[in-house]
Amino acid sequence: MKKIFPFGGISLTTVVLFFACSCLLRSGSTDLALQAQLVWGTNNDKPDDPKLKEVDAKVTERLRTALKWKNYFEVNRQNFTVHAGTPKKVKMSDHCEIEVDNFGNSSIEVKLYGKGKMVVKKTQKIKPGELLIFAGDDKNDTAWFVVLSQTEK
Amino acid sequence: MINHETELKLQAYLDGELSSGEAKAVEDLSTHDADARALFEELKLTKSVLAENELEVRLPESRGFYWSKIQRQIEREEKGRATEQTETAASSWWLRFLAPAGALAVLVVLVVVALRAPKGAETLVALDGSHEIETPLEETSSFSFQSEAAGMTVVWVDSHRE
Repeated sequence: MKKIFPFGGISLTTVVLFFACSCLLRSGSTDLALQAQLVWGTNNDKPDDPKLKEVDAKVTERLRTALKWKNYFEVNRQNFTVHAGTPKKVKMSDHCEIEVDNFGNSSIEVKLYGKGKMVVKKTQKIKPGELLIFAGDDKNDTAWFVVLSQTEK
Repeated sequence: MINHETELKLQAYLDGELSSGEAKAVEDLSTHDADARALFEELKLTKSVLAENELEVRLPESRGFYWSKIQRQIEREEKGRATEQTETAASSWWLRFLAPAGALAVLVVLVVVALRAPKGAETLVALDGSHEIETPLEETSSFSFQSEAAGMTVVWVDSHRE
């Protein structure tokens, strides 16, 4: 009897391997390396706390294009990796925490906690070079920011 | 004075359309009645004048050929009309298809152009489903906006609601 697919076993294995490799290449690494910065924005030239240092010039420039504050000072910085399906909680200050979940394909869910209560939850893709910022105003026309970005590998 | 019926009889007699009995009666009438005779003479004169001066048209070809030529011309025109109608029907089918398809294409282009933000412009809140935001606390509100120019998404949290 003539086979419909000649060399059936070999062909099938090749096709399966090809699709498996494609899927692996497509998904890439499922781990996501992120950086979270707690930033304080003000129109004053100097921060209230002299220990605070200025945020990286490039990031500052980007913040200035979309936000009204003139100067941005870094309060805290955390680098961390989030594995797919394993949410990661990161403490930014005594009252501020974030929890990041990796959904794969650069899609993340970020929960922002203030004094232990979840304030906001945001789900979106974060591409390399893009910033996801959580912000709110503070006293004396200042503001706080949690700036999330992918760290360069 | 003769009536209209008699006038018609006289005309028919002159044209040779009456039976022999009727023709005899009209002859008697025109012999004895002066008015009838006068009308008959007048009609006779008129007929002779018309017959003598009527233009005789001679066909350049035989009678059969002449009429067959006319028939062929009629058939040709009818065929042409039928072809024209078929072409019109075919083109109207395409028009029926192309008109709505064209309108739809224009509509799609307009929608795409309308939804497309100009390059460099800032887009408020992403449109795709990958962006979700949730604010569980009642005393807190939030909104998000995206700056394509700065490559950032900002989630603004407002905790001063009254």
